[in-house]
Amino acid sequence: MVILSVMILNKAGGLIYQRDFHEGLHKLSSNDFLVLAGTFHGVHAITSRISPVHGSGGLEVLESENFRMQCFQTLTGTKFLIFAEPHQPNIDVICRRVYELYADYVMKNPFYQIEMPIRCEAFDRHLMAYLKPKQ
Amino acid sequence: MSFYFAIIGTRDNPLYTYEFGTSKSGGDGVARFREDQRSMNQFILHSSLDMVEEVQWTNRDLYLKTVDRFNNLMVSGFVTGGNIKFLLLHDQKAEDPIRQFFTEVHEAYVKTLMNPFYEVDMRIVSVVFDQRVRAAARKYL
Amino acid sequence: MSLQPPTSPFVPFSPNPALQPGTPSSTTPLSIAQKPPPVSSASLRYASTRRSIYDRNLNRTQRAELSKASFAFLFGEMIQYAQKRVSGIQDLEKKLNIQGYSIGQRLLELLLFREGRSAKRETRILGILQFIAQTVYRHLFNKPADGLERSHDKDDEYMLIDHEPVVNTYISVPKEISLLNCAAFVAGIIEAVLDGSLFPARVTAHSTPTDQYPGRTVYLIKFEESVLEREAMLAGGKP
Repeated sequence: MVILSVMILNKAGGLIYQRDFHEGLHKLSSNDFLVLAGTFHGVHAITSRISPVHGSGGLEVLESENFRMQCFQTLTGTKFLIFAEPHQPNIDVICRRVYELYADYVMKNPFYQIEMPIRCEAFDRHLMAYLKPKQ
Repeated sequence: MSFYFAIIGTRDNPLYTYEFGTSKSGGDGVARFREDQRSMNQFILHSSLDMVEEVQWTNRDLYLKTVDRFNNLMVSGFVTGGNIKFLLLHDQKAEDPIRQFFTEVHEAYVKTLMNPFYEVDMRIVSVVFDQRVRAAARKYL
Repeated sequence: MSLQPPTSPFVPFSPNPALQPGTPSSTTPLSIAQKPPPVSSASLRYASTRRSIYDRNLNRTQRAELSKASFAFLFGEMIQYAQKRVSGIQDLEKKLNIQGYSIGQRLLELLLFREGRSAKRETRILGILQFIAQTVYRHLFNKPADGLERSHDKDDEYMLIDHEPVVNTYISVPKEISLLNCAAFVAGIIEAVLDGSLFPARVTAHSTPTDQYPGRTVYLIKFEESVLEREAMLAGGKP
């Protein structure tokens, strides 16, 4: 299972978590990541409107030669973006597991303010252990 | 047979008292202490606290049987885990019935404690608690 | 001599005598303090089924379990509630300690009651610490404590070790207040059990992470002088 990176966006489209899980990735500045997140949030909203099928959700999968990005949107508007290698199977399982870790170690943390950047050590630890077990 | 029962808190303050007589073999459940005796009851009971505090460190049981004597009266004691003392002043020996009575009162006390608005060392004013103690007294003593 | 019905000093239906009506205490809302005390039995409110807490069996929930998530949410709210009212880590730990204290008082009596006829009170330090490490811990967390040690240089200090306190599972303390350990709540429970059994002590929770157990916590139990004196007397009495 090779996951390249994970991004989490809050309801308003602001970036609250970004982490790389693979070496050799092109490093962007933190400002660039924020811009990227905002852009994606907008694109997601637009795609949900222009879709010819009535009542569909927004952009879910973006696939290219080098990577595959999957977006999982929760009922509360939080978006989980998983960047993985192009032929990685079972990304939904991974998405769900990351959501579960989020619900546990971020939402049950009394020191976490909702919609703010995630600074939870336990979340980082468990995510690392799940996505990079040989670390 | 007459009895005087008291529950003493951790600061030697009485939380509950009850005076009654035996309901067995034709008794009507009314205490029959002599008038001068009655005023001494509380005094005797509280002075036996010293004895209880001595015995509670060598005896690990909750029920302490007879801890003190005064003239013809005996005091039996029971200490709960939280150091609440149940004391019974009585004139005739009756170990097992008293033990059963104390066990029932202990159950009622723990239930009182489960009330989040009741704190340790508060006086017990619940009517239902009173009913339970009276029923236990009628049943065993 | 005429027989008078025994007048019991017990006054039925009086309101909580710890509170004086008319003087608002810091814990009662103003409306209760100013209400006149009820004087007749008709004012005592029973549930429509006429059942009170005295009708519930104490052993009914003996094997009941609570979901970790429910507790985590409640505990998180308790911490946030305490945090709004204090300034500083020590005060926050003290608030959590107080919250756990009343639980410990009730737990002590309940567990001893549930032991039934063979219940024995603890009279020695090692006895009460074993009671906490085994019985109380098993009741709360379904596992015994991971270690019980005595401090080498101070004989009034004992340490109870927990590799991963259940209450801290989902909590990540931010770096600014890294000295806080929310297991102060459990320390309050332990302190109440000790105080109730007449072993007055101060219990504090300290984080001592290791590589294997990043959440490892040590509860430092410092007994008062009187406890050590009594312990020495009891030990001297029976060699």
